[in-house]
Amino acid sequence: MSCGVGGSSCETPRRRGAFVMLGIMTLAFVVLSLFSFMKSRGQVTPDTVSYGPYKAEDGKRVFQAYNCMGCHTMVGNGAYLGPDLTREYAQAGPAWLAAFLPSAGSWPTAAAVRAQLQDPVQHADTGAATIEAYDGKFPEAADRVGRRGGKPSNMPNLPLSKDEIGQLIAYLKYTSAMNTEGWPPRVEAEAGLDERVRLALGVQAIAPAAAAPAIPPVAAAADPAARGAQLVKDNGCTACHATTGQRLVGPGWGGLYGSRVSLADGSSVMADDAYLVESIRQPNAKIVAGYPASVMPSYDTLLKNDEVDAIVAYLHSLEKQ
Amino acid sequence: MQIEYQTQRLSLRFFMLMLVLFLLQVGYGLVLATQHVDPSVQAGTINFNIARAEHLNLGILWILSGFIGAILFVAPLLARREMVAPWLIKLLFYALIVIAVWNFFTLRLAQYGIAGWWHGQPWLQQGLEYLEAGRIAGVLVLVGFAILAYVVLRTFPPVRQWNEIHWGLGLGVTALMAVWVFGLFYVARLDLQEYFRWFVVHYWVEGVWEVIHISLVGFLLVLMFKVDIKSVGFAVFWGVALVWLSGLIGNAHHYFWIGTPEFWQFWGSLFSALEPLPLVFCFWHIYLDAHTNQRPLENAPAFYFILGSVVLEQIGAGILGFSMTFALTNVWSHGTWVTPGHAHLALFGTFGMLGIAAAYYAVPIMRKAPDYDQRLGKLGFWLVLTGVLGLAFAFALGGTVQIYVYRILGLGWFGGDVSRAMGLFKLLLPMFGITFTFGAGILAYDLFTLGRRVRAPAAADPRGVLHGDAALPRSNTGWGRPLSGFEAGIWLMMMWVFGGIITLGLLSFNLPRVRVLADPTLPYLLAGVGYPGLLLVTLAFVWRFLASLEARASLPSPTVAANVLLPLPVRS
Repeated sequence: MSCGVGGSSCETPRRRGAFVMLGIMTLAFVVLSLFSFMKSRGQVTPDTVSYGPYKAEDGKRVFQAYNCMGCHTMVGNGAYLGPDLTREYAQAGPAWLAAFLPSAGSWPTAAAVRAQLQDPVQHADTGAATIEAYDGKFPEAADRVGRRGGKPSNMPNLPLSKDEIGQLIAYLKYTSAMNTEGWPPRVEAEAGLDERVRLALGVQAIAPAAAAPAIPPVAAAADPAARGAQLVKDNGCTACHATTGQRLVGPGWGGLYGSRVSLADGSSVMADDAYLVESIRQPNAKIVAGYPASVMPSYDTLLKNDEVDAIVAYLHSLEKQ
Repeated sequence: MQIEYQTQRLSLRFFMLMLVLFLLQVGYGLVLATQHVDPSVQAGTINFNIARAEHLNLGILWILSGFIGAILFVAPLLARREMVAPWLIKLLFYALIVIAVWNFFTLRLAQYGIAGWWHGQPWLQQGLEYLEAGRIAGVLVLVGFAILAYVVLRTFPPVRQWNEIHWGLGLGVTALMAVWVFGLFYVARLDLQEYFRWFVVHYWVEGVWEVIHISLVGFLLVLMFKVDIKSVGFAVFWGVALVWLSGLIGNAHHYFWIGTPEFWQFWGSLFSALEPLPLVFCFWHIYLDAHTNQRPLENAPAFYFILGSVVLEQIGAGILGFSMTFALTNVWSHGTWVTPGHAHLALFGTFGMLGIAAAYYAVPIMRKAPDYDQRLGKLGFWLVLTGVLGLAFAFALGGTVQIYVYRILGLGWFGGDVSRAMGLFKLLLPMFGITFTFGAGILAYDLFTLGRRVRAPAAADPRGVLHGDAALPRSNTGWGRPLSGFEAGIWLMMMWVFGGIITLGLLSFNLPRVRVLADPTLPYLLAGVGYPGLLLVTLAFVWRFLASLEARASLPSPTVAANVLLPLPVRS
C-alpha cells in the first residue's frame, strides 16, 4: 500500500496485468490470422490465375513497379485520383484494358477495342470474337467507349511493354476473382444512366454515343486525305501517334512520308507507300529503332484496301513541324 | 531553463532537418492539390503517384526526425546523464539525410516502371502506399531504428528504476524497430500483402507513434508546467495500456475488405471503437496538467502545438477515426476522400504538431533565447491549424459526394462524372493548402532563425509586446476567463455530438431511400452539419483554451517554483 510514497511506482502491478492481457489478445489475433489464410477458406491466390501466357504473380510486380497504388485504389487502399481497380477486369474485360493501357492518355475507341479482339489470348480468355459479343459480356466497356471513346484521359502514357500489359491484365483478373466480402458495395440505385448523371451533376447528360453507330459511315469524300483524317479519328490512331514529329506511344507522323526511317534491326527503310501500308497491316514486320515491338495491333482485317489508301494519303499531307 | 547535458544539443540538427523535410513535403502536397484540380499539370514530369509517394515518404521521415529530436532532448533528462555514443547519433543524422535523398530519386523510378527486382525483392522502390521505399532504403531505416533504440536504451537507467515515461519511450523505440521488419518482405498474395502492410502502418501509428506521443506529451508537460511526474506517469500508463489493448485487435478495421474473412468485421468494429479511449484520456490530462498551476505560459508556441497535437488527435484520430471504424460505415468511407480527411488530421495533427512543439520547446533553450519573440510562432500555429482543418473539411465533404456518385449512383471515373461532381471541394484543397503553406513557411523561418534575428525593439511592456495580445485577457468576450473542467467537458461533448452526426451520416448510406431511390438528402445534410460543426468547434475550443492560458500573463505572477526535480522511483 506504499505505492506513490517515496518514489515507488503505483503502476507496477497494473503493468504486469496489462502485459498479461496484451499477451492473451496477441494470441487471439494470431489465431484469427491463421484462420484467415487457411486453404479451406477458398480465397483465390495469384499462382492459380493467368491470362494466356501471362501470370498474375508477374502482374503484381508490374503493378508495384509502376506504383499504380499512387493514383488508384486496390481493394480500396491507395490514392483517390483515379478509380478503384479491384473489379476492373470483370467490368471492362481484357480487350478494353489491352486497348487502353498502351496509350493511357486517351480513352479507347470502339475500333481500338475491336483491334484487340483479334488477339488469340483475348479470344481464348473471354470467348468473344465480335464487338457485339464482347459488349454483351462486358457492358461497362461499351458504356465507356460510348461516353468517352477517343477523348483525352487524365492518366499519363506509361512506357508499358506488351508483356507488362498482359501481366497486368492477369493480375486484374486475379483481383476481380477475389472474395472481398462484398466490397465495393453493389449499386442498387434504380434510376437509368441519364437520371443518375443528372443526380450527380445537376445537368442533363450529353446524349450517349449509343445513339450514334460506333464507327460512323465515312462518306466517300472526294478528297482521300480528308477521308483518311476521319478514319484516323474513328480508329483512335492519335491515341498513340502524334500528327507532328513528336513521340507519343508510337512514332509521330509529321514529315514521316518520304523520310528515311532507322529500324530496330539496324537497317533503314524509305517511308514510302508500301512501308506505310505494311506498318498498318503488319505493324511488327518492321519496328522503328527505339520503340518496343508488339504494342500496336494489326489492322489487316479491320480496314479495307481503300481505307488504308485513304489513311496513307492523309499521312502524305502531314508536314514536318 | 538551461541545457543540463551537452548531448541534448544533438537534437538541434534533427529539428532543423525536420523543418527542411516538412517544407518539401508541403511543396509536394501543393503539387498534389493542384493535380487534383487539373491532372494535366506537370503530368509526364511529376506524375501524381510520384508526388504522392514523395509526399507520404517525406511525411514519415520528418515526423520521425521530430521524434528523434524530441527523444534526444529528453533522454538525458530522463536518464540524468549524457547520452551514450554520441557518434552513433551523428551517424544516424547523416543516415537520415542519405535515406531522404536516396528516396527522393528512387521513388521517381515508378514513372518508368523500375522497381529494381533482384532475388525477388524490389530494391529501389516497391510501390506500396506508405511503404514506397525500396529494400535498400528499408534496410537502412532498420539500421537507423536499431541505432536509436540502442542509444536510448543504453542511456536509460536500469529497468528496475524506470518510471512510466521511461517505459513508454523504451517500449516505443523498441517496437518502432520491431514493427518495421514486417514491411521488408515481398508478398505475392494481395490479401496477405495488405495484411502485413497494415502491420507496419497501423501498428506504427496506433501502437508505436502514439505510445511515443503520449510519453513525450507527458514529459513536455512535466517540463513546462512543473506538474507532478507521478500524475503524468498515471496518465502515460493508462494511455499506453489502452492504446495497446484497443489497437492490437483494432488493426482488424483494416481487414474488412482486403480479402480476409468476414469475422474481422466484428473484431475490428468492436475493438477499434475503443481506440478513442486513450485519446480522450490524453485530452483530459492535458486539461488537468495545464491547469494544475496558474503560472503564465513561458513558451506559448510550444504549448500551442502540444494542445493542437492533442486536440487534433482527439478529432482526427479519435472522432473521425471512430466514424469510419464500423463495417457498416467503413463500407462507404473506404477508398474515398473521406479517409484522407481523417489521415491528415491524425498524422500531421497528432505527430507533426508534437515534433514542432518539441522544437519550439527545445530550440530557444539550446540557442539561449528564452524570451524570444513568440508572435511568429503563434501566427504560424493558427495558419497551419486553420489550413489542416480546412483540408479535412474539403476531403470529408468531397468524399461524401464521391460516395454518393461513385458507390450509390455507380457512376465511375470512366464517364468523367465523379471528379466533376467533386469539383468544388477539389478547388478548396489548394486554397487551404496555400494557407497551410504560409503557416509552415513562417514556422520554419521562425525556428531556423530563432535566437539569431535582430531583437525587436524593447517596448514598455516587453511581455505584452512579445506575446502580442496584451489586450486579450481584458476583452469583453470573457474568453480569457479560466477554463473550468466542466466547460472543457462540454466542449469535448460537443465535438463528440458532431462526431455522432458524422457517423450517422455515413451510416445513412445504408438506407433504402439513399441506396435504392438515390436520394442523397440525409447523408448530405448530416455531413454538411457534422463536418463543419466539428471543425469549427475544434477551432473555437483551441481559441478558448489558449485565451484562458494567455490571460494568466496579465495576472500577478506567483513566485516561480524551484527547479523541477524528476523523482526516479528507486525501487518498485
